[in-house]
Amino acid sequence: MGATRVLITGVGVVSSIGLGKDEYFRALAEGRSGISPVESFDASHLGRQVAGEVKAFRAQDHLTSAELRHTGRCSAMTLAAARMAIADAGIAPELLRGPRTAVVIGTTMGEADVIASLDHAWIKSGPKGITRALLPKYGSTLLPIHVARAIGAQGMVLTLPAACAAGNYAIGFGADLIRAGRADVVVTGASEIVQELQFSGFVRLAAMAPSRCQPFDLNRQGIIVGEGSGLVILESEEHAVRRGARAQAEVGGYGLSCDAYHITRPHPDASGSIAAMRSALADSGIGPEAVDFVNAHGTGTRANDLAEAKVMADVFGGRKVPISSVKSMIGHCMGAASALEAVACVMTIETGIYPPTIAYETPDPDCDLDVVANVARTGKADVVLNNSLAFGGYNAVTCFARPGVLPPPVPRRANGAVGHA
Amino acid sequence: MRSRAITGLGIVSTAGIGRESFFRALESPAPFTGTGRVESFDATAYPGCRVAEVPDFDPAKYLGDKGLRTLDRLTKLLVVATRLAMHDAGFKKDGLYVQSSADRVGICCSNAYGSLEAITELDRVATLEDARYINPAKFPNTVANSASGYASIWEDLRALNVAVSDGNCGALDAVACADIFLETGRADALLVGGAEAMSEALYVGFSRLGALEPKVKDVSTLSPRQRASRGAGALLGEGAALLAVEPMELAASRGRRRLADLSGYGTAFLPPDHEGALIHPSPEAMERALADAIADAGLSPADVDVVASGVSGLGAFDRAELAAIERVLGKDVAVAAPKAMLGESLGAGGAMAMAMGVAWLGGLAPGPLVRGTPGRRVRTVAVTSMGFYGNASAVVMQAPRET
Repeated sequence: MGATRVLITGVGVVSSIGLGKDEYFRALAEGRSGISPVESFDASHLGRQVAGEVKAFRAQDHLTSAELRHTGRCSAMTLAAARMAIADAGIAPELLRGPRTAVVIGTTMGEADVIASLDHAWIKSGPKGITRALLPKYGSTLLPIHVARAIGAQGMVLTLPAACAAGNYAIGFGADLIRAGRADVVVTGASEIVQELQFSGFVRLAAMAPSRCQPFDLNRQGIIVGEGSGLVILESEEHAVRRGARAQAEVGGYGLSCDAYHITRPHPDASGSIAAMRSALADSGIGPEAVDFVNAHGTGTRANDLAEAKVMADVFGGRKVPISSVKSMIGHCMGAASALEAVACVMTIETGIYPPTIAYETPDPDCDLDVVANVARTGKADVVLNNSLAFGGYNAVTCFARPGVLPPPVPRRANGAVGHA
Repeated sequence: MRSRAITGLGIVSTAGIGRESFFRALESPAPFTGTGRVESFDATAYPGCRVAEVPDFDPAKYLGDKGLRTLDRLTKLLVVATRLAMHDAGFKKDGLYVQSSADRVGICCSNAYGSLEAITELDRVATLEDARYINPAKFPNTVANSASGYASIWEDLRALNVAVSDGNCGALDAVACADIFLETGRADALLVGGAEAMSEALYVGFSRLGALEPKVKDVSTLSPRQRASRGAGALLGEGAALLAVEPMELAASRGRRRLADLSGYGTAFLPPDHEGALIHPSPEAMERALADAIADAGLSPADVDVVASGVSGLGAFDRAELAAIERVLGKDVAVAAPKAMLGESLGAGGAMAMAMGVAWLGGLAPGPLVRGTPGRRVRTVAVTSMGFYGNASAVVMQAPRET
């Protein structure tokens, strides 16, 4: 296993700063914020009032009427992003149909609005108040199911609920499915919606900032939740070449680990995150010197920023690799975060533009990093890492590269060993 | 997939906690005859409510009583199963690693509905009082990988922690994930399986769908064969089951006896032709998944001695599953219904069935049977699961052979 290159041939985005990759990345490059007053529920009494809601998304512009009946907002965004990614890949519908296409989607809560509606009806009116037609829409695995239905994929349909690292889990595992020979094409990524329960939960954890998300800033005040969907089309090199597709990036590999320390806080010594990043490099067959840019998890909490600074110092030693957090613009899109950021990484490789960390005013002296401050920077972007940490002590790092720059694929193991053990 | 060794089992089920107690219960496999007394929620509002819970579940007996207060039922079930699996496989002794180490052991666990207990509790506070009063210590429990995260914290599993969600197929899909993670060297060994917890919301939801067994007194007296043929409705269950899975070479070098081998996996998704329906039992998907799993194991259909099916009493799904099994394996193959004994435990269902498969491959007689009779000592078990949306997965397990 492992002797196939995995290529990204298309990306799709539903975000608070734009629909589709061009709008999305133009806004990121310009440093535009998608944070605005919450409209999807009444947040006036919750102590915090802003989020990165996707206000321009209208499900009916992207879904059939039958799909609209079957989907909550999270699935609707997923399906829309999938269609954009497929269009971007220029892949013929018949090449997606059949058992060799899999769909793997990450999320934290999935159809959170559906379960909220069910709960509210139940609490107010008892079991008989529950609309029966709503029940099948709260399934654990509906995000990939809706995508697979729409495109005729007949392979694995899997949800990876890996909290705020879910996008990296899904994309990494999707690449593994191709390398293991279990699929030729994988539609993968992650989605999340802003919803009252999780908004209130973060407020109650005292984790939420009042107006801005300021990663790596001394005066940071916490996260701001956001929403959206980021999807990518992964193809085996053979499949992509056969249909004459242009590769936008290669998935070099990924690394996973678990802190086994605390359910919400990262381990202060960052050993899990460090292991995940080293594993992503080993899985990609490269050393830290090959990395040009790191998309930070950068949530805007002190615990996160200190852990990430430790990772950067440990993995890269004295070399300061440029790092930036798009969460300063679109907020923390939870399950969708690392998928939206993966799309940003692909666009960075395509354009050579490092998106900025906006609202970066007073560098935190404990985060000795080369933060791309406030305005985008251009630079070499052959190899880009995407870092993520999550509730549950989940860590995941994906490695994306310009096609052709990584060493030829050989059966390789995530601990750096080559060949089968 | 490559053949993988199963060297341990951690199980918390309605028929027993721990491998020995579970296997003892399987010596006389019979449909669930428990009282159906509900401990996990107040069922007085639901006359006739009968569910298959883990009876008298006391996590403190296994975990001590410190640190349990904010954990939900799902987490407690899973953490106990995790601890049992780690010790049964010999990775730990008396709570400490003795073989392998924390950074080389991980967990890949299926769950279908998350902690509905936590979500509904917080929703209740938010709706009836104010969202400002929700308990922040319980908020993390609302994310779907929370129970898995706690399993890592309690048992120090750091190589990786991957929560998998694919409804009833999730625990079998976790086998495919684990095979890939072992192949890529992301872990030396993995705990693989699933967990699902009883909750009022789960009961109310399935009850409103009309999916649960009818409120008739004699339903428990129906034989599994009668239940399967009548589509009597499902008996909702719960529990957690984890197999300790590792490469053959590691099991050999550790000097561990293999309980069974995992050797094949298949899955398929075939939704209905028309856009109107969402819920869809697909015999074609089941047929393809099962045939692929057998081929993946390098076997032929004639090698399969018994099927640990997902038959649960849901008529349309049971008929589709049995039809698919018949098309692949013929009409005489023995088919068991683990859910008749253990209840429909959804995300844990496939793991419960694999745990039964381990017992049968170790010499116990398969059951409860809904079709056929195994004609010889069981050497090969096929485990099947039907998803609710046109998906289906299958796994093949074999008795250990000399390698």
